[in-house]
Amino acid sequence: MLLENVQLAFGAVFDPYTLVLMVLGVGAGLLAGAIPGFTIAMAIVLTLPFTFGMDPVRGLATMISVFVGGLSGGLMAGILTGIPGTPSSVATTFDGFPMARSGRPGLALGIGVWSSFSGGIISAILLMTLAPRLARIGLEFGPWDYFALVLFALTITASLAGNTLLKGVIAGALGVLVATIGEDEINGVARFDFGIDALKQGFAFLPVLVGLFAFSQLLSDVRDRVKATRAIADTGDFVVRIEHRNAIREVVTYWGVVLRSALLGVFTGLLPGAGSSVSNILAYDQAKKTSRRPEKFGSGVPEGIVAPESSNNATEGGSLMTMMALGIPGDVVTAIMLGALLIHDVVPSPSFIGDEPVLAYSIFLSFFLANFIMLGLQAICLRAFVLVTRLRMYILAAIILAYCAFGIFTLNNVVFDLWTLFIFGILGFTMKTLGFPLAPMILGVVLGDIAELNLSRAFAISSDLTHFVLRPWSLFFLLLAAFSTGFPLYQRDRQRRRWTRGYAPLMAAALSLPMFMMGGAVRPTIGTALLLWAMWTAWRRFHAGWAIPGDDRRAGSR
Amino acid sequence: MSGPNRDTVTALVLLVACGTFFWATTRIRDLGFETLGSAVWPRAVLVVLTLFTLVYLVRSLVSGAPPPALEEAPAGSGIRGWLSHYRNVLVCFTLFGVFLLTLPYLGMLIGGVLFVFASLVLLGPRRPRRLLLHGIIALAAVGGMWLIFTFGLKVILPPGELLRLG
Repeated sequence: MLLENVQLAFGAVFDPYTLVLMVLGVGAGLLAGAIPGFTIAMAIVLTLPFTFGMDPVRGLATMISVFVGGLSGGLMAGILTGIPGTPSSVATTFDGFPMARSGRPGLALGIGVWSSFSGGIISAILLMTLAPRLARIGLEFGPWDYFALVLFALTITASLAGNTLLKGVIAGALGVLVATIGEDEINGVARFDFGIDALKQGFAFLPVLVGLFAFSQLLSDVRDRVKATRAIADTGDFVVRIEHRNAIREVVTYWGVVLRSALLGVFTGLLPGAGSSVSNILAYDQAKKTSRRPEKFGSGVPEGIVAPESSNNATEGGSLMTMMALGIPGDVVTAIMLGALLIHDVVPSPSFIGDEPVLAYSIFLSFFLANFIMLGLQAICLRAFVLVTRLRMYILAAIILAYCAFGIFTLNNVVFDLWTLFIFGILGFTMKTLGFPLAPMILGVVLGDIAELNLSRAFAISSDLTHFVLRPWSLFFLLLAAFSTGFPLYQRDRQRRRWTRGYAPLMAAALSLPMFMMGGAVRPTIGTALLLWAMWTAWRRFHAGWAIPGDDRRAGSR
Repeated sequence: MSGPNRDTVTALVLLVACGTFFWATTRIRDLGFETLGSAVWPRAVLVVLTLFTLVYLVRSLVSGAPPPALEEAPAGSGIRGWLSHYRNVLVCFTLFGVFLLTLPYLGMLIGGVLFVFASLVLLGPRRPRRLLLHGIIALAAVGGMWLIFTFGLKVILPPGELLRLG
């Protein structure tokens, strides 16, 4: 069955037209990712209108190619100019730029490219093998569990907003509120139309998303009058040859870092709301902590490039897994992909892989293949990158704004969508200026409908609210939601307050409870392991008086 | 307790919006037979939003707003400083608004070319050679897009009453 599906998907992906689209997609992604201030999500948004007329396999393959290209493109700008092309490659600049400045830009680029490739391939393999299993778990979910999962997705997105948890929660709730405008999906009743006919149908999802994200981003990019008229980045006249052989040798030397960072990336991607902008920093931090020469980090060590680059490419495999197996987008990029699938009347859910095996396996294969195409195209795009960075941001912004209008109109051939784009562009820019993170709002818009639909289904089955805490998966996600809400406080007080020493054991002990409730052999075993770890850690910390590591040194220094 | 600041104003605006939406939920039709009424979910969301906005309001009054990042801070004070700081943004919004308002008359092609040209002129340098370059960029970029969407993707873009270029 698996081989048959792979074979069918192989035929669809390895069609010459699809391959050409993928090559173009990877190339466009590499360039878009390389332009500082131009995010991968924006590149995907701009690709979207071209995919409307394609069949789902081609459309998705093109978008995945842009996605993979964008993730790898960010490293070019980061290494050569010190300005990360995308938030996903912020940590790459920490060691990539110093290595390039010390006279080895070819090696730095090579390590980045091969690490990206390795992370991508590890992630693709995990995607192909684990996504169907995750979908099987998803089939166990009832509406209560789905509702709790959406709640967890929203809380974790808000908590990852860093110091602005409160603003993140408000932005998420605003997003959910926006999703309620228009006809109620369950009863067909119009809501919040304020007497305006166009609002009876509600806002189309993609114009809202493009307005909030791309429109507001472009305006932020041209806000500074001086910067807007300057070249995007000062690349000078680079003549760089990627040192492939030396780079492969370095990547093989640090295979442990590659593997650990890729796994960390996949895990981060699996979490709804956490994307490659988080994983690349986590992987860098882990690599530094476990290195034998942490003091050298920041001066141009290969591990400092290997870790973030293998992690950020791997993250997207994890995000795709959650989207395909559970229908929950992992980040803004997968939210756009979800929108693209919905345009083609394909609704990702736990039964998606079983119902649409060719499409599902085509997505897996495209992700796999795009990594190989990226490897081949990187050297060519390096030359184009130098040319692109000479462009002025105001020119790019004006053209892209017009392009957004063309693309959004294409979606439904309705002028109201352009007004939606405009209104949410203003809203997005205002919120950004006021310090509200936009990712929770975007996920709120996407997940609001899913939450309401499942809540309604839950009430249609039973009005008993105890189902939310008596069903193991629902309890599991509610506990995760509660702990993710407390996570910013934990992060703030870690290494400073004693209560944080009890946070991880308490979380592990709490999560063991739903594991025991799930029954079978494997999950209670995991529950037992979690509980034992929690008890052992709590006992050790209790005997140490819940002391924070380094307390003695601090006391001594006083 | 510090005085009202940017966050206080934002919180108050959000509370007014919450109130308006609460009022609007009373106008949502009740079918009488549904398991979960159409107004229940929006009200639940509004309760959460209002509660967190109240916390935000109290916090803004107690601790004051954090100082804006250096590059985000308007250089001058007063309305003139603010207008100067956000000049490019306001130009883009205004031009895009005008583009949408005139879309029924000018259509996507002419409206798009004028929008891009005006944006380039107002955002970029205004030397005569640049003006010519901006004109060429606007024509080539929007014309190219129009050709791709009209003939490549077979999309019927708004033709506009002026020239009916559909």
